[in-house]
Amino acid sequence: MNDHTTKTDIWQGTLALMILKTIEVLGPLHGYGIARRIEQTSGQRLAVNYGTIYPALVKLEQEGCVASAWGVSDAGRKAKYYRLTRAGRRRVEKAGREWERTTEIVAQFLTMAPGED
Amino acid sequence: MRGLRSWLLRLAGSLSGSRREPDLVAELESHLQLHIDDNLRAGMTPAEARRQARLALGGVEQTKELVRDERATVVDSIRQDVVFALRMMRRSPVATGVAVLSLALGIGANTAIFSILDSLLLRSLPVREAERLVLLTEADTPSFTNPVWEEVRNRGLFAGAFAWQATRFDLARTGEVDSVDGMWASGAIFDVLGVPALLGRTLTEADDARGGGPHGPVVVISHRLWQRRFGGAADVIGRSLTIGKLPFTIVGVVPSAFFGLDVGRMSDVVAPLGAIAAVPGRGRVLDDRGASFLRIMARLAPGQTVDTATAAVRRVQAAIRAATAPSAAAARWLPPHLGKPFTLQPGEVGTSPLRARYQRPLVIVMAGVALVLLTACANIANLLLARATARRHELSVRRALGASRARLAGQLFTESLLLAVAGAGGGLLVARWSGDLLVRQLSTPNSTVFLALPLDWRVLGFTTAAALLTALLFGIAPALWATRVQPQDALKQDGRVSAGRRGTWFGSAMVVIQVALSLVLVVGAGLLVRTFSTLVTLDLGLDQNGILMVTMNHEGAPGPPEQDGAATFDLVREAVSTVPGVDAVAASAFGPVNDGSMSLTIDPPDGASLAPRDLRASLNLVSPGWFSALRIPVAAGRDFTAADRAGATRVAIVNEAYARRFGAGRSPIGRTLRSVAGGKPGPSVEIVGLVRDAVYGLPRDPVPPTVYYPLAQAGSGLGYVRLCVRAAGVSPASLARSVSAATLRVDPAARLTFQTLGDQLGATIVRERLLAMLAGFFGLLALLLAALGLYGVTAHAVNSRRAEIGIRMALGAAPAGVVRMVLGRVAALVTVGVVFGAGVSLWATRFVESMLFGLKARDPLTFVAAALVLAGIGLLAGWVPARRAARIDPATVLRES
Repeated sequence: MNDHTTKTDIWQGTLALMILKTIEVLGPLHGYGIARRIEQTSGQRLAVNYGTIYPALVKLEQEGCVASAWGVSDAGRKAKYYRLTRAGRRRVEKAGREWERTTEIVAQFLTMAPGED
Repeated sequence: MRGLRSWLLRLAGSLSGSRREPDLVAELESHLQLHIDDNLRAGMTPAEARRQARLALGGVEQTKELVRDERATVVDSIRQDVVFALRMMRRSPVATGVAVLSLALGIGANTAIFSILDSLLLRSLPVREAERLVLLTEADTPSFTNPVWEEVRNRGLFAGAFAWQATRFDLARTGEVDSVDGMWASGAIFDVLGVPALLGRTLTEADDARGGGPHGPVVVISHRLWQRRFGGAADVIGRSLTIGKLPFTIVGVVPSAFFGLDVGRMSDVVAPLGAIAAVPGRGRVLDDRGASFLRIMARLAPGQTVDTATAAVRRVQAAIRAATAPSAAAARWLPPHLGKPFTLQPGEVGTSPLRARYQRPLVIVMAGVALVLLTACANIANLLLARATARRHELSVRRALGASRARLAGQLFTESLLLAVAGAGGGLLVARWSGDLLVRQLSTPNSTVFLALPLDWRVLGFTTAAALLTALLFGIAPALWATRVQPQDALKQDGRVSAGRRGTWFGSAMVVIQVALSLVLVVGAGLLVRTFSTLVTLDLGLDQNGILMVTMNHEGAPGPPEQDGAATFDLVREAVSTVPGVDAVAASAFGPVNDGSMSLTIDPPDGASLAPRDLRASLNLVSPGWFSALRIPVAAGRDFTAADRAGATRVAIVNEAYARRFGAGRSPIGRTLRSVAGGKPGPSVEIVGLVRDAVYGLPRDPVPPTVYYPLAQAGSGLGYVRLCVRAAGVSPASLARSVSAATLRVDPAARLTFQTLGDQLGATIVRERLLAMLAGFFGLLALLLAALGLYGVTAHAVNSRRAEIGIRMALGAAPAGVVRMVLGRVAALVTVGVVFGAGVSLWATRFVESMLFGLKARDPLTFVAAALVLAGIGLLAGWVPARRAARIDPATVLRES
């Protein structure tokens, strides 16, 4: 149970950052578009259910990072569009920096050769 | 900020949970549709496209569930807490009602006093960039002569400047005076302040010319006067307004927010300063180099600071002084402050004579109501603790089932928050109502206090802060206390956790605090109420009941030409004395109470050695019959008669204080009195009568040595008199109409003001009455709360000791012994509280010392009485539970356990 929670938490945190970054780059976007974009950006390597994006979006909205409104897609379909709020913009910036730092540190460990000081 | 926002969203989510569900379904449907469109474009068959999209989404129901989970965690717990707290509150409506009511009163009173203090002391003037305004002062005195003002204006040291004098205007055409507050102001006032006209135009420099500008004398009126007197008529511009019997043309109406520069006053009429020149009797005041009556305000130029502007005005001060120096003769009478350096003070909050009078009392009342609020908090803390204690078994079960302590404490605290929110809501209502009521109490017949008390973010912020603070005060301790249960407690038999000791200790501490706080409030109330009652029952040396005071102003009126003022007044006196219901009528220069004063320097007889200060005697000019009309006994000699006229031997009547100081123990009758004026002795006056001491000025001041001269020998030039009308068996106020008619028949030009002497006396103790009223009310409230607290704690203690008491009684304890035992506990609590409170009072009463009259701040009688009152209240509050304890049936109790 514990194990499961940890995994989900990491996934949720990463997914939130991916969502925010996607909206930041592409501007207001609906849930389907965000999911598609994440899939494409990851080079089809992240194969998860699109549905998992909605709990993450709800959470982000509760936290005030994104705001949503109903709109119409290019193809004339009704869809709910998410856009970044000011708090969301700050969060992307901060989380992005933290992520970079973390990966840098992890990379350092991974490149450590045996016997090196 | 984000925390609050997300909390609000969650709350919205919890409230609109059912509404959000369809929204989510629609969103997921739209998702599928978009995906299907893409799949179709990629060449799939419709069925395949739908299947693939469904697969990719991963199940609609599953996703909905995931989203719901995300929402549920916090949202539902908050909703649960609120619902639960509401259920708890409903279960004991009386206790909840008392809690909310006491909070509403406490928070409301605090809010009301805060909004008055805010409005009186802190709020910026409702003008453009009020923070750039400065007030010119000279050694802290802000009054200047018109020549000085003209010099300041002509030198153009600032972005703009103006001068004003607050005054009361008489708007009546004839007869009874119809006063409104207003001001004389120089032409630039509205331009400098940046106040536009709501209707018409504001004043200009041209209007400010001596005796009126190109459009003659003009005025600007307030929004309030426009509404009240002109019914908000659109064509009010151009109409005429009579001020002091002179016609002025209304040129503009200013917005309702603008009340003037004197906080606490509504300037209903603003007339140009130059128009004073047209007012009979005041014509020369503009050129008078000795008459300091103007305040000067300036707006700093861009880049100018208070310091640089002060330096600039000081550089020209010598030149201004040289140009405006009064004549040598007048200079001797000038106050000594003249010649001190000019200083600019921030003018952002305007000026107000009310501040000095009411700042301290209001702060004290605020401290008092804060204590009441604390007392209420102690009560509610006790109530909540009792409730939580009763639920300890349930709480421990929930702990055992995995609920965190924080979650349980949060749930208990939610109830406190709800109480506080309800209290704050009620408090705002109380504040709206009581704030205006309080402001009305500050008004006297001669000065109408106007304070806007808007319900703005400052007041709302204060109320919110008060509510949160109280919630923390009374909510935190019970929440933490009651949740200090261990999961294993749930297993104990019957869940009868040893809640007792600690909870009881907490309750007792709260009650001790309550008793102590109440004692402080009761002592304070006692001191202030006794001060008031002393002032009300002061022996004034005269009979103030049944007296109507009429001010008859003949000044500036063209009167019957063949008579001088004094003769007119005599005729009026005769005419009024024939009015039905009038017992006696007499005239004087000043009414007996707080109505202006004159003084004489007495040439000490027979070389008596007295300090220069002791040579002053107060002076009044009175007509024959004045003493008998006021029922001031003549102790020796005689009253004035009609024979004491101008040209006859000059005579005087003195009071006993005069005889004591100047008579060297001998009767003053037949002696002479000589005053000194300007270093030269005046004429000799024969003392013909001695009267008992009677109030002169303020009732609380000792009666000064007083000399009375006959009104008829005062010489000409007195433009007004006070008529003192004694009513014969009717209410004095009811005589106003007939007295007015009788007076106007003799002198159609007279302007009249009516007030009963009782009202005039009341006006001298407005502050004391207000303080006594508030202190008394809040003292009683604190007593009531303390009684409730004592009752609650004692009843709770008796309840939780039922078994013990039952066993004691089974073992032979008499009911009287049980009562003694319960009351003994109450007595102990009250005693500790009283001792504690008395200590605090000894320190705290020093702050009201300056507001007391006739007793000391540490008045032992008041302290003892307050302690006895609390002891009595304690006994009363303990009696009911004690009786109940004595009626416990041992058999029943033993069966229960």
